[in-house]
Amino acid sequence: MSSDLKELRKIEKDADQCMKCGFCSFFCPVYQEEHMEPAVARGKNFLVKEILKGNQEFTPEMGEIIGKCLLCKRCVANCPSKTQIDRVVVGARAQMVKEKGQGFIKDFVFRKVMSNRKAFGRYVKLASKFQWIFPKGEGNIRHLPDFLKALGRGRHIPAIAKTFLRDQVNEVNKPQDGKEPKLRVGYFMGCATDFIYPEFGKKVIDFLTKRGIEVVVPKAQNCCGAAIYFSGDFETGRKLAKDNIDAFKDVDYIVTACGTCSSTLKDYKVYLPDNEEQQKAYETFGKKIRDATEFVVDVMKVNLDELKLKKEFEGKTATWHDPCHLIRYQNIKEQPRAILKALKGLKFAEMPNADQCCGMGGSFSVYHYDLTKKIAAKKMAGIKTTNADIVVTACPGCMINLIDNVAHNKMPQKVHHLLELVE
Amino acid sequence: MIKESLIADFEKILGKENVLTSKESLKAYSYDGTTSWIHEPDVVLFPTSTAEIAAIMKIANAEKVPVTPRGGGTNVSGGSVPIQGGIVLALAKFNKILRIDKENMTATVEPGVVLMDLNMALAREGLFFPPDPQSFLGATLGGIIAENAGGPACVKYGVTKQYILGLEVVLPNGDVINVGGRTLKNVVGYDLTMLFVGSEGTLGVVTKAELKLNPMPLARKTIMAVYDDVAKAGENVFRVLEKGVIPNKIELLDNWVINRIEEMMPMGLPKDADAVLLFETDGIPEAVEKETEKIVEIAKKYGATDVRVAKDQAEADRYWLARRAGFAAVFGKAPTVFAEDVTVPRGRIPDLIRKCKALAKKYDLEIVVLGHAGDGNLHPSILTDIKNKDHYDRAVKAMDEIIEGAVELGGVLSGEHGIGLEKQKFFRKVENPKVIDLMKGIKALVDPNNIMNPGKVW
Repeated sequence: MSSDLKELRKIEKDADQCMKCGFCSFFCPVYQEEHMEPAVARGKNFLVKEILKGNQEFTPEMGEIIGKCLLCKRCVANCPSKTQIDRVVVGARAQMVKEKGQGFIKDFVFRKVMSNRKAFGRYVKLASKFQWIFPKGEGNIRHLPDFLKALGRGRHIPAIAKTFLRDQVNEVNKPQDGKEPKLRVGYFMGCATDFIYPEFGKKVIDFLTKRGIEVVVPKAQNCCGAAIYFSGDFETGRKLAKDNIDAFKDVDYIVTACGTCSSTLKDYKVYLPDNEEQQKAYETFGKKIRDATEFVVDVMKVNLDELKLKKEFEGKTATWHDPCHLIRYQNIKEQPRAILKALKGLKFAEMPNADQCCGMGGSFSVYHYDLTKKIAAKKMAGIKTTNADIVVTACPGCMINLIDNVAHNKMPQKVHHLLELVE
Repeated sequence: MIKESLIADFEKILGKENVLTSKESLKAYSYDGTTSWIHEPDVVLFPTSTAEIAAIMKIANAEKVPVTPRGGGTNVSGGSVPIQGGIVLALAKFNKILRIDKENMTATVEPGVVLMDLNMALAREGLFFPPDPQSFLGATLGGIIAENAGGPACVKYGVTKQYILGLEVVLPNGDVINVGGRTLKNVVGYDLTMLFVGSEGTLGVVTKAELKLNPMPLARKTIMAVYDDVAKAGENVFRVLEKGVIPNKIELLDNWVINRIEEMMPMGLPKDADAVLLFETDGIPEAVEKETEKIVEIAKKYGATDVRVAKDQAEADRYWLARRAGFAAVFGKAPTVFAEDVTVPRGRIPDLIRKCKALAKKYDLEIVVLGHAGDGNLHPSILTDIKNKDHYDRAVKAMDEIIEGAVELGGVLSGEHGIGLEKQKFFRKVENPKVIDLMKGIKALVDPNNIMNPGKVW
């Protein structure tokens, strides 16, 4: 093979960790649907090792195999030999993009649209004009980026905001009491909050400034890069990392209310570094990142009993869905539950499979929507057993998928971000 | 190489989506849980009914194509590696629990049901399937039956063969037979059910199994006992049993394993201990209390330096997690690991452990001992590196001597992993040639064309 396999060599040690016990099969949502070895971590890992040995090439089928992973990390969490299969899969995708490119559509979406905030906004706006088309669109809007196209396949999607968050907030937001700020915090909005749920962002800023914290919202912040670098476009991923690191100077913490964004920003150091300088910069940046749930509980140490439940949720029963990017990427499990349980007037009911992936997996659901629906059906079954009125989570990505599947399954539950519950 | 026209036949039987031939798929079915046995099949088939399997076997038999049945592929003997190519018969999609009969305490399952899934379903009915191979998260019932698998709970509950009442089997020529039945007692002619249990997929394909179940124990307790001499731990095992207490598990960890576990996940295991025994008692609460007291008393009397009873389930879970992490600890520490599976009569455990320690010194190797002390089944594991010739040769010699030593002590070379490919050379060495001939005669009778998992066992 002519290639130096640079990206793949970085994960060779991880791949060698696997002892082929096959326990991952029990935890893999994709294997549980397909029951075929290439679907599961052990199979993917073996094939990646074959590439490293020069016995296998990046064929289209190989691309299909490494593409069919939600990166939910359930296998990693339960692996007896602690194989970081997420690194293996992402590393293999990166190597493949390097060698074979990523195709015109992804190239365009990742490099021309998503990595340029203004262009992204324009495209989303354009898409919003066509929202009426979506429920029966079935892929006939080919001039739109493919991720938006896929959203049209009979999917129930939330409406795109009339005015994006970016155009609604100031760059600097002083504490509301007018006193010297206790902390200076950068707010990272993330695409979904910016374009679909701007009210979440306003809520975060209000919550923090009410409690003596100065919140800066740099206009130069970019997409976190999850969809991009998890797909293997490390070049664009590194550009976004640099944009974001440069945008958030001179803050004590960087907070976001999107579980995927917080984990993605923390983990530049895990996947992206190409040299020591980057490694250091990513580590320093990662240390400042906090998901909103952990920031409120662990850093601000807010007295949770003082939190007030919004009137509309009075008397309702809530169940919690653990986003993969919170529970397994960041070990955030208790903090959101502590908040939910502290809210007086709200009942809490744990679902049996709270930590199971909802099936979204970012662009996974674009390419494997049918699998997404099957995996989500199991989540829905868990939700049903709780008789909850609302499903609460803290990742807009999960929310989009949960909303879609609650509707598909004709369930009465409403889906909310944890932020929405707090007065 | 398999004929193109056969692929088309299989696609007709199973549908295109259940026939895999891409080189990536074939690679993904070239291995099992062992380190070094790898061979690709020519095609991977996913049947979901007895009729489909019968049709496939008819074709394979007529064309003399090797067929290797495969469940979860978690076995550690090379058993599900298609060493002569041909067909991998992947049974993972043939995975329904057909019936749970609460009154008669039996279950009827298809071969692809994963043990953990079965036990989760049984738990809802207050039942469980006692044999507990530690690969329960991936192992399927078909594979468990073919390998006659066992695990820690063997002390009290025995192994798979004690829980198989009847089987539906597709023979190599495509005929479907039923052996055994649904009753606890059954002496109607030869016990052919037991012919297939432990046959390592060399005699036919199990397509349905009637399982005997036990009621779920109402209470459990875990006891950890610490010893400054591994031989004392060995003695403790039979002291407990001799006093009339039968715990469901008695597991042993040696000093090396204890220390690796403490590095991986500190949980307060005593690092200077020579050995630790983990006991679990189960049954009705009063009996469990009494048995626990008794074990503590006996352990103290016969030389345990420390005995702890897990306060709650969380503490118990931690100990058992440590036990399960033992193997990962071993495999993570060396590029090549020989995980032995020798089994001796229970009373000879201290002798076997001493033998291992002596061999470790003699060959300057690390030999780790952990395993099911309660049933005499130990897994001495030799850490080595296949790329380091001198080291590897010493490891091979040590392994030979461990096996010879176990046989001299009245034991066998495999307690629960099976022969497969991994232990063939030892099998030929220690088994009486007349016994091997008899086995070959049975094989020739059932599978005259030698298409079922060829190349295994002898």
